[in-house]
Amino acid sequence: MTTAQATKRTMGAALLLAVSLALALVPTAAEAAPGDTANGKVLYEKKCWWCHGKTGEADGPAANFVIPPPRDFSLGVYKYKGSEPKAEVVRDEDLFRMISDGMPGTSMPAWKSVLSDKDRWDLVAYIKTLTDMFEGTPNPAPIDLSGKIASSEESISLGAKAYEAAKCFECHGVRGKGDTIKKLKEDSGKRVWPRNLTKQWTFRAGSTVEDIYTRVTNGIPNTPMPSFYSEKTGEGKLSTEDRWHVANYIKSLEETQKAPKDGETVVKGMYVAELPKSEKDEIWNEATGVAFNLVPQIIAKERFFIPANDLIYVKAMFNEKEVAFLLEWDDRSKSVPGDPVAEGIAWDTLTPDGVAVQTSVVIPTAGEKPYFGHGDASHTVSMLYWTAGSVETGPKEMIMSANGIAAREPGDAKAAGFTTSASYEMGTWKVMMKRSLATANKEKETQFEAGRYIPIAFANWDGSNGESGSKHTMTTWVWLLLKPDTGSEVVVIPGVILILLVGGQLAMAALLRKKKS
Amino acid sequence: MKLQKMLLTIAVGYLILKFGVPLVGSWLHPGAWPVIPTSVMKMYMTFVIVGSVLVYTFDEEGYRQIVGPILDLYGDPGKVKYCYAATLAVALLGAWVAYEYVKPTFDAPVELRSVHPAPPSSVKMWGKSYNLATLENPLRADKENFAKNSEEGGVVYYQNCFYCHGDLMDGKGHFATGFNNPLPANFVDVGTIAQLTESFVFWRIGSGGPGLPGEGAPWLSPMPIWHTLLSEDEVWKVILFLYDYTGHSPRVTEKHEG
Repeated sequence: MTTAQATKRTMGAALLLAVSLALALVPTAAEAAPGDTANGKVLYEKKCWWCHGKTGEADGPAANFVIPPPRDFSLGVYKYKGSEPKAEVVRDEDLFRMISDGMPGTSMPAWKSVLSDKDRWDLVAYIKTLTDMFEGTPNPAPIDLSGKIASSEESISLGAKAYEAAKCFECHGVRGKGDTIKKLKEDSGKRVWPRNLTKQWTFRAGSTVEDIYTRVTNGIPNTPMPSFYSEKTGEGKLSTEDRWHVANYIKSLEETQKAPKDGETVVKGMYVAELPKSEKDEIWNEATGVAFNLVPQIIAKERFFIPANDLIYVKAMFNEKEVAFLLEWDDRSKSVPGDPVAEGIAWDTLTPDGVAVQTSVVIPTAGEKPYFGHGDASHTVSMLYWTAGSVETGPKEMIMSANGIAAREPGDAKAAGFTTSASYEMGTWKVMMKRSLATANKEKETQFEAGRYIPIAFANWDGSNGESGSKHTMTTWVWLLLKPDTGSEVVVIPGVILILLVGGQLAMAALLRKKKS
Repeated sequence: MKLQKMLLTIAVGYLILKFGVPLVGSWLHPGAWPVIPTSVMKMYMTFVIVGSVLVYTFDEEGYRQIVGPILDLYGDPGKVKYCYAATLAVALLGAWVAYEYVKPTFDAPVELRSVHPAPPSSVKMWGKSYNLATLENPLRADKENFAKNSEEGGVVYYQNCFYCHGDLMDGKGHFATGFNNPLPANFVDVGTIAQLTESFVFWRIGSGGPGLPGEGAPWLSPMPIWHTLLSEDEVWKVILFLYDYTGHSPRVTEKHEG
């Protein structure tokens, strides 16, 4: 053996040793490390207490401004439990996952982007010391997922039956929109809304069939969501097979086409000769909808932090005379003051549900637009507003203009040809607004024009969440484009070009060949 | 040979613009795939094509190498089959480009705004006038109460700012999904508070979105006008907290001795 060979071998062995040592030292996500509670405490006191409180009692400075409220670590009860059903506590891995991935749709972020694996395990170890629930309790075994039933039409239909038998619809609604008929609260007394099962990107702890099965089996401790597990099937319980069927059924309810997509900022106005007659008109199915996130108005007094509705889905159509908007949003209840069901589940005073469309009066040619919040002194915005009114008055519509939040004035709905029609069905509001493209009040009302990009924004009030006035959800400026009917030119122009190019080239070829010969 | 090279150059240019740019973007901003808007893409591709043709046909030899095979393809009676294939391919390409132009699209107009516009020399808030060139954070000198002031600033942050700017200070708060045009500032990034003076940050917080000059698109920014909602003391405290928590140091304007 030459020296060179020997050196290579020694280096190889050293490398192998180093790699195996490194592998042995790195704890994998699957296995819980004991965790350094002292380091966990330091991290907790820098990053976590703002919501969860200095002693973990969910009383940090932000606690009252977030929904759902932060977890109270002193109770030791966690919502998203992946342990076997009989276990009293969550697994270390559940805590690690909650810290690492955060919870979609809440203010809990994914800490894995800023904290190392070790730091996160140290936090797990530390928060376990804030309660006596874990004392002398070994890490429980995980839930058994081995009985998984693959999704199929049959399984989904069995799941639908089980969903009905177990009365899931009482809270989650017949179509899974979370349109509860019950007033629900957490054990802490705080209000909680049932999950809308069609918006699976808001599922807090994952939306795979396994995740859904785990929730159905273990329930969500501390909330009205019960465990449907029992060793013997009984009232309000489901067999293992049925829980898999329900999970497959719930998975099938997902509506991804109504999820907001990154970069989609244009409401696609479609030309039709005859506009839809109502919000239920089938012709609406031909238009392409766009979803926008709704966020609460936290910009000006009085600010509002705890919304319930989270998105609005918009379609638009127009003809030579009018424009029509279809505004669709999932809402847990039809809030009409005076309605006994709505009054029964309202948390505070029941206010009417409502929706508004705001457009810029001057259609901008360059960047300059009105301020998105009701315009400003030199830029007017026009607003179309619909409210569910009350049982006595019925729904109402109003047209308004504004030059700033404090400078709003009513307009003449009739003169602008502004009409609405609305209905609430199984957890979804549909409101159609129609208006003349051109109106007489050109200073205060948008003159809709095809082919122009018109700044548009939306606002929404959820009455069962006590929203009214400045307390509402909203979008900032997006665009409305009423796309002129392109008609046959989409086919004709490329067709003509195709023929010209073929003819031109053949002529050129003929000429060249003639020249050659 | 040159003809193939030219076509290859154009193809590579297209691929870089179509996939390379978003790839770099996704690397800089994980989770995003920022494509070049169609209208800009068309402009860039025109430059790529015209540029390639100019470069490859720059001299007589190059011109002959590019044009020669084309004339040969169309004019050689022995290559009639290839001639028809090329004719069809060119015609289809032309028709496709034409279709791309006339097909109905809903691409949003491109909006440009300056991220850190030049500040005014002075600003009026809380009934006072501040000279931004000389303004300093009055709490920074108070070393004794630094921890207390920073923590109080944190309370202000978590009761007012974190909804958009985030628990991780990365501009991805739970309401940032709706207030995303423009995106909330990412304080961890080296491009925000790390390169700004405290007086600039004070101006941006105090006067909010509507206080931006025209190039900052004041009509878009959802940043509240904080001097109507917070006290001057609270704003200085939250600034102290932002630098303390992220570990950044404020940019200091150089003072001339003498």
